[in-house]
Amino acid sequence: MTPATARPDAHAPPAHGTSRWAWAAVVPLALFAAVLWQAYAYRGDWAFSWAWAPEIGVEAAFNVDGLALLMLALIGGIGSFVFVYAGGYMAGMAQRGRLFATLLVFMAAMAGTVTADHLILMLVFWEATSLASFLLVGFKHEYESARKSAQQALVVTAGGGLCLLAGALLLGQIAGTYSISALLADTRWVSDPLAPTAMLLVALGALTKSAQLPFHFWLPNAMAAPTPVSAYLHSATMVKLGVYLLARFDPALGDREWWSQSLVALGALTAFWSMLLALRERDLKRILAWSTVSALGTLVMLIGLPGAAPPGAVAAFLLAHALYKAPLFFVAGNVDHCTGTRNIDRICGLAPHMPWTAAAALLAAASMAGMPFSLGFAAKELIKAAKADSEVWAWVGYSSIGVSVIAVAVAGVAAFRVFWHQRSAVTLPEIHEAGWAMRWPPLLVAALGIALGLFPGLAAPMLDGAADAMRAATAIDEAMPPLDASMAGTVALTLASGVLLYLLWDRVHDAMDRVLRALEPLSMLAWYGRLMAGIPALAAAVTRRVQPGRLDLTLLLCAAVAAAVLLGAVLLVAPVPLSTLPLLPEGLGMTVASALLLAVSVLALLPRSPLLLLLLSGFAGLASAAFFLFAAAPDVALTQFTVEVAFIVVASVLIIRFTRGRAARAERGERRLPRAIVALASGIAVALLLAATTALPQDDAQAAYFGRTSVPEANGLNVVNVILVDFRAVDTLGEIAVVAAAALALMPLLLRLLRRTRGAGGGA
Amino acid sequence: MSASVRRAPVLLEEAARLLVPVILIASVWLLLRGHNAPGGGFIGGMVAVSATALVGVTRGADAALRGLPLGALRLSCLGVLVALAAGLPALFTGAPYMTHLWGELFGVKVSTVLVFDLGVYLAVWGGLGGLCAAALGLEEDAP
Repeated sequence: MTPATARPDAHAPPAHGTSRWAWAAVVPLALFAAVLWQAYAYRGDWAFSWAWAPEIGVEAAFNVDGLALLMLALIGGIGSFVFVYAGGYMAGMAQRGRLFATLLVFMAAMAGTVTADHLILMLVFWEATSLASFLLVGFKHEYESARKSAQQALVVTAGGGLCLLAGALLLGQIAGTYSISALLADTRWVSDPLAPTAMLLVALGALTKSAQLPFHFWLPNAMAAPTPVSAYLHSATMVKLGVYLLARFDPALGDREWWSQSLVALGALTAFWSMLLALRERDLKRILAWSTVSALGTLVMLIGLPGAAPPGAVAAFLLAHALYKAPLFFVAGNVDHCTGTRNIDRICGLAPHMPWTAAAALLAAASMAGMPFSLGFAAKELIKAAKADSEVWAWVGYSSIGVSVIAVAVAGVAAFRVFWHQRSAVTLPEIHEAGWAMRWPPLLVAALGIALGLFPGLAAPMLDGAADAMRAATAIDEAMPPLDASMAGTVALTLASGVLLYLLWDRVHDAMDRVLRALEPLSMLAWYGRLMAGIPALAAAVTRRVQPGRLDLTLLLCAAVAAAVLLGAVLLVAPVPLSTLPLLPEGLGMTVASALLLAVSVLALLPRSPLLLLLLSGFAGLASAAFFLFAAAPDVALTQFTVEVAFIVVASVLIIRFTRGRAARAERGERRLPRAIVALASGIAVALLLAATTALPQDDAQAAYFGRTSVPEANGLNVVNVILVDFRAVDTLGEIAVVAAAALALMPLLLRLLRRTRGAGGGA
Repeated sequence: MSASVRRAPVLLEEAARLLVPVILIASVWLLLRGHNAPGGGFIGGMVAVSATALVGVTRGADAALRGLPLGALRLSCLGVLVALAAGLPALFTGAPYMTHLWGELFGVKVSTVLVFDLGVYLAVWGGLGGLCAAALGLEEDAP
């Protein structure tokens, strides 16, 4: 048993060395090399496809354009470092093979999602990433909190995935194609009255995946995953899929007000609100997670902005965010790994003990805070230019200033408070620096974020390619305003406000905590909890109603529902003219059999003993067998006869054995009226159904065919048997397989019961 | 309840001793004539099931279960396999699966149809006969 209070991602005792699984990094590295080759040497789109399920119009079509290429660069590039890092982080941990295997599956699914050119194909990969995320968040499944977080991530993202499926099917219906490139090339479908519904459903899928309001709550809880997973899935790649999907469809919808303005509003709101929520946290990883949600919100807002500048800003910020957030997660992982805690109150002044990690944190934080000469700075300037290009609501402008200020403070917490701030109140445990596999990835990735800021031309081909895939965009070099004094002023102002907030962090935290605690019952998390508690409660209430725990009542309900459905179908769908009801059977034999059947049925109303009832119903069965015999259907009659005999024998023996002496008592308090009504309704329903079926003009072609060909083609005079064993032999094979399967399922249960009653009774 | 209560009347038990082989032979006869006259694998199998039920009523569930060759589940699954295999020879002649082949052996017409029907017979006898026999052995739980 594991202690309930322990964190699922707790990491003790720290192990040294590197797992051999780190070699798995060659897979993302190969992908990254291919991406670089296409972006810098090949310079063009690359499409290929083959028929997958041509019967339903699904083809495995892939198209690697600039946007896909940028996403692939993140998947492969960040992925390589994540695999190496995980090799150090997971060293000596149980079941690390499962983690690496799932990560590889995830990577393949991600690559498939961003390159698929067919909606259905993309959905398959999309859902695979949700499943991989579920498995990775719940990696430490022995902890309840990890299981709950995994379930939450799955419910939210897979629920969105279902919306996306509905939206994709609707899109395919109204546009007549599932090919994404065809959808974007010919945008007449956008004018269809159903297009907003379809795109709302698609957007729901994207917004849940990218943790936008009101689905923002799952991402911080997904931090229960091991840190390499958080860095990879929940910051650099998977959560950006929603942004990717919106950017993918934006070229078709960008000129629609309802589309672009709702994206701007939702993105800006998410960006600001989640940054406020970051102020409430004490856990380093959760602080970073909220700032990731905020960055995703900024990206969604940028996609909604019109003009030629925003696509470049989206591309630049996608890259910049991955290059500073992944190292910061690595840093949080190192801190956790080496001190055993991520609570920012229990750690401080770690820099002398962990100099490499501290250096990586500083580099990454500089980019996050938007310091000059970093890629974060370039991205921020591009965002500013994108907003200047178009009219945005005033509150959007103010909120992004707020976001920048809090980002500076968060960067300060991650890089400065943890590593350089000295406080005497905190007593540190024994600390060591992380091993090389955990030391180099954060440092290299963060350094890359600075290098690309110094030489933006290096990344420009890839970023321009991605921006052009969205819409005709201004080249990054042109959009980038030159450094001047006014810029220094705004940077200094943002920096100063951020530093002020950083110094006041604890006080602001307490205030935010008080306010949010009061608002807790209204939060999305609380509603999610209510939903999750409501589903089993509703299921239990329904089950109590329809299954009161007595077999006869349940059966009565089933019969009543069946009768109601049948009656409804016959009366509403195919009303029967009563004149067509055949009143008298033909011939003496059928008349006698029918009279017998009727008499036995009426007699069956009288006795209360179950045994007598069973015998009478058996007689009714035999009478109907006789009816079939005279209706020139000897095979049906024989079958009816043999089944009836076996059933009556077994059932009567069991009734005698189980009800001896108690039958009369059990029957006394019963109300017979409801049963009579249900029985009558069932009878009428079946009679009407039969009348409706026989009233239809019969198609004798099949019967005639079988009658004609039975002897020449199948050498059999008995047409019924010929159909069973020859014309429809495969059907019969399925039926006997069902018989055998039923026996396979039931026999062990019955034999177990047999043994138990033997043991208890001690007889026979 | 002790064993004596469930004991069948002597007359029935003695009659069953004679009847069961007769019923089984009749079931095989129904199976064999099925292609040209009323009968066939399912009906024959059900008649065999009633023989098993008769054994269960007179001599108990264990005797009835023992009376099923190979045991109920194996018999039933063997039936499905035999029926499955009956369609295979057609593949060697290039015809679609389950196209029946006819031939003559010592002057008697034989075909894969009969093999298929035998599979149906065995699957029904084993599956339903086993269920009937086992159900006949049920007793109330001792409190």
